[in-house]
Amino acid sequence: MSDKEIDQQLVERVQRGDKAAFDLLVSKYQRRLGRLISRFVRDPAEAEDVTQDAFIKAYRALPGFRGESAFYTWLYRIGINTAKNYLLANKRRAPTSTPFDAEESESFEEASLLREVNTPENELMSKQVVDVVQKSLLALPEDLRTALTLREIEGLSYEEIASAMNCPVGTVRSRIFRAREAVAANLRPLLDTSKDNRW
Amino acid sequence: MKQSISALMDGELFEDEAASCLAILGKDLEATKKWEIYHLIGDTLRQPEHIPADLSATVSAKIQQEPTVLAPRISMVRRNPRYFALSAAATLTAVGVVAWMSLQINPTVATSPTVNQQNAAFRPASMQFNQDSNEYLLAHQEFSPSTDMNGGASYIRAVAYNGEAK
Repeated sequence: MSDKEIDQQLVERVQRGDKAAFDLLVSKYQRRLGRLISRFVRDPAEAEDVTQDAFIKAYRALPGFRGESAFYTWLYRIGINTAKNYLLANKRRAPTSTPFDAEESESFEEASLLREVNTPENELMSKQVVDVVQKSLLALPEDLRTALTLREIEGLSYEEIASAMNCPVGTVRSRIFRAREAVAANLRPLLDTSKDNRW
Repeated sequence: MKQSISALMDGELFEDEAASCLAILGKDLEATKKWEIYHLIGDTLRQPEHIPADLSATVSAKIQQEPTVLAPRISMVRRNPRYFALSAAATLTAVGVVAWMSLQINPTVATSPTVNQQNAAFRPASMQFNQDSNEYLLAHQEFSPSTDMNGGASYIRAVAYNGEAK
């Protein structure tokens, strides 16, 4: 089942009244949407509010979502419109007039700017999360590390990874799972003890 | 199950396995936590420069305040346009079969229409009704299978005009 189909299944659950399914979509897309909105609304606290608003608007608009486009593309448009409306309401101009599409926005590099405007608390937490994930990745056995890297960073399918690593697809599936579990085990204490449980 | 969630996120599960995995997500707390943390790991590996704070709990709380959305299911039909084609084909086939059968039953009707001539020897039947039985039949007309106004017959009154009485 493809990523788009999974999203569609979750959307249909929400459309049948299952609010928990919407939480799964939020978990999946909150960081992508947050990064996108941060390009328009530079203040991190305001960007958070706008991101939340965008999700609420998406939830309210979900009965009209018919799946003609991918869910994220649809959510992306809501995010952009919410951010622009927010700036308009506050008599501010969007930082760029360049129209990005959903795919381009993923590779947009403004990390240094984003770091500058992040709050110290979020900045610290963000650094800790990145630190734990990267250290955990480096501590993995090479076959697990390679499988997870090829999947998450290079975006290869299991079949392509199996071909690259010269092993069965089932082994790739197992290696990626074990790698995620190892990283998650190191991340869990940090997430559980984080202030106001916002990570 | 945890391994299934990992593979589901990567779009590497077959339909039936994915369906059962999705059915658990959002209901089982541990499975849902795995879903969240695996996505955090993926996002962190892809874009370690900026990881926004987790908004899921806040958004979830706000969504709980919202009215539940309900929408009609259209995806089955939309995802499978074959349904339209098959329905149309079945309808056309049924119409064709009925037309063909009606032609087979009485092929002469369509090909050689005949003029129905009135036979002069036939005359309208005349019959004397007993007044009592006529009233009885009128009163119970609603039970007659031939009436088109079942239930309304009791409100019908027969009116006769006798010109000779004047």
